[in-house]
Amino acid sequence: MQLTSTQSIASALALASCSLIGQSQAAETLPANDDWKVDAAIMYYGEQDRVQAAEAIGNVQKAFGDSSLLDLKIVVDSLTGASASGAVAQAQSQTFTRPSGKGEYTVKAGETPLDDTFHDTRVQLSANWQEILNQDWTGNVGVYASKEFDYLSMGLNGGIERSFNKNNTTLALSGAFTHDVVDPVGGRPVALSEMVFRSDYNSDAEYQAAFDQTRLEGDDTKQTTDVMIGVTQILNRNWLMQANYGLSSVSGYMTDPYKILSEVDVNGLTQGYRYENRPDSRLKHSVFLMTKGALDSGVVDFSYRYSTDDWDITSHTLETHYRYYFSPSFYGQLHLRYYQQQAAEFYQPFLMAGDALPEYASADYRIGDMTAYTIGLKFGQRLSGGHEMTYRLEYYQQNPENNGTDIPGQLQNYDLFPSVKAIVAQVSYSF
Amino acid sequence: MAANSTNSQANNISIQPREWGFLGSFRAMASPCEVLMAVSDPYIAEQMLQLAFQEAKRIEQKFSRFIEGNVIWHLNHANGVAKPIDAETLHLFQFAQQCYQLSDGAFDISACALMSLWRFDGQQRLPKHSDITQAIQHVGLSRMTLTDNHVYLPSGMSIDFGGIGKEYAVDKTAQMLAKQWPDYSVLVNFGGDIACPISKADGWQVGIENPLHLDNAAALLTIRQGALATSGTTRRYIEVDGRRYGHIINPKTGYPVEQAPLSVTVLAQNCVMAGMLATMSMLKGPDAEAFLQQQGVDFKVFRG
Repeated sequence: MQLTSTQSIASALALASCSLIGQSQAAETLPANDDWKVDAAIMYYGEQDRVQAAEAIGNVQKAFGDSSLLDLKIVVDSLTGASASGAVAQAQSQTFTRPSGKGEYTVKAGETPLDDTFHDTRVQLSANWQEILNQDWTGNVGVYASKEFDYLSMGLNGGIERSFNKNNTTLALSGAFTHDVVDPVGGRPVALSEMVFRSDYNSDAEYQAAFDQTRLEGDDTKQTTDVMIGVTQILNRNWLMQANYGLSSVSGYMTDPYKILSEVDVNGLTQGYRYENRPDSRLKHSVFLMTKGALDSGVVDFSYRYSTDDWDITSHTLETHYRYYFSPSFYGQLHLRYYQQQAAEFYQPFLMAGDALPEYASADYRIGDMTAYTIGLKFGQRLSGGHEMTYRLEYYQQNPENNGTDIPGQLQNYDLFPSVKAIVAQVSYSF
Repeated sequence: MAANSTNSQANNISIQPREWGFLGSFRAMASPCEVLMAVSDPYIAEQMLQLAFQEAKRIEQKFSRFIEGNVIWHLNHANGVAKPIDAETLHLFQFAQQCYQLSDGAFDISACALMSLWRFDGQQRLPKHSDITQAIQHVGLSRMTLTDNHVYLPSGMSIDFGGIGKEYAVDKTAQMLAKQWPDYSVLVNFGGDIACPISKADGWQVGIENPLHLDNAAALLTIRQGALATSGTTRRYIEVDGRRYGHIINPKTGYPVEQAPLSVTVLAQNCVMAGMLATMSMLKGPDAEAFLQQQGVDFKVFRG
């Protein structure tokens, strides 16, 4: 080669090619990516005859240049309705002292006792900052706080991602720490203490003294530390796979202060009620596997999650989403989820009168044996100007099951493990 | 999506909705061609695809040396007579001349006679040396005469725009789409030569094939704006007495360039430039990578 500077070939070709195709030679300038993206959604969650929740979600994302992203989110929800207290149905109507100690409520004969004092409004705020540090590294940090009447939660989280292999492989490591303060209405119940009733006492003062005996002073706290490592691998042009391992360690107050257990005799007759008690530490492992693929006119994913902890709760979750684009501006999505859980070792649907009290006990069906499934449909419509509307409707059913407990006497007449059926409806607007 | 499809048997034009817009495809220039359109309106997508198809076909009809009666056919059958040409053809010749000079004669659109001796279709023997020397007599773009409206080729010389035509079609199509619809991002992909004239915020994902493992994309890259072209074809070589002869012919020697890469992919501001840098680097044989590094462009080289 006689050319002294080979670099000049590229420059000469740039000139020659531009003159050939008649385009201006202006250097490409990328418009700065500093758009705001706002999502607003309202969601309704309704269990048949039980909890109803309305939720408003606001999410703002703001990019600063190409490498930084701020994400702010606010969620306000309002809960009303009744939830299962943990007590069992009886042939007679049952009267319960409210958690506050002030007043009582009565449950009809044959019905699963639901506590209807449940009203609350919760506000959650979170902020997250993501920074692309360089071609290979991405980091993020975030803060979180939520407040409801009897509960305060504050958290910090952070994570780092490293890309390898021309972005075909991503390793992620993240961690979170949450500090919660629990200050239940009426105070925290003394573990497995017996519920007292105004009718058993001659005066308000005597009743109040007895009630106070079942309560602890002040609030309590709970600390949660989560660590997660994950790998995402692009398999080929259309498929990717993700695998995560998560470790979660919780210590502190994990008892549900509003849950109770019936204490029944051999005939299934309730003799009294005791406040539940759960261990103050929990270590949970989970493994998550997911594959996601781009199809002609659609996207599909399948995932499996296995989770186990030292309360002996083991769960399996199978889930899939299939999205089909009827047109580039309109899609439909099918969501199926199946969940199966094995009860906590201290779960029991009731206590037997006369037996020695266990150290820990809970009749909360949510930590019992159960299966659950979700069937959902979602539609998304892209509007002009980049706006998008989505509509989601889901049916969710939890089917609690007996964990192998013998059911004595009259309790056999009742469904102690009733299904909980719920509808989720959501409308979102992005602009 | 029957409502959105236009199907023509010969050209297989089709348009399909995708998450990000529409994918249009057809066949032209002996290659599968695609247009990715980040557009939500099917009517606009249909118009874009029609424009791309028309332009690809127009350039193929006009400049393919396999189509009888077009300007190239007339030039290749001129028998030493100067022939009139239009402005577009003139620009292509001027560009080819510049490439010939920049590559010191290694890129030569007049090397047809030589190329036709080398058939990489599984033949087990080399062309005869005497045939090669004979063919070289008819090769050499420096012997072409170009005026503002005529071209003169010495008798026996023929030309082939195959090394530029597809990239040129990609750039022309991309430019026309960008001019008519400046607000929509598109990716024009004619047989692996690609241009994205309008910036796409989140970029287009483009897979580069490893010629040794065609089933998998060997590398994924994100293109927001610009172009990409690949030189090199797979599994095209002659093996004689245990020696492998690659498909890149040095028009000056008449023999394959030794130690040429299997394929070279280059990113540049337009597809013609990317394609020419890829081709020139192939002609550099063992020095392909060094050459591209000196040019200051992004590239990917696969070797056997």
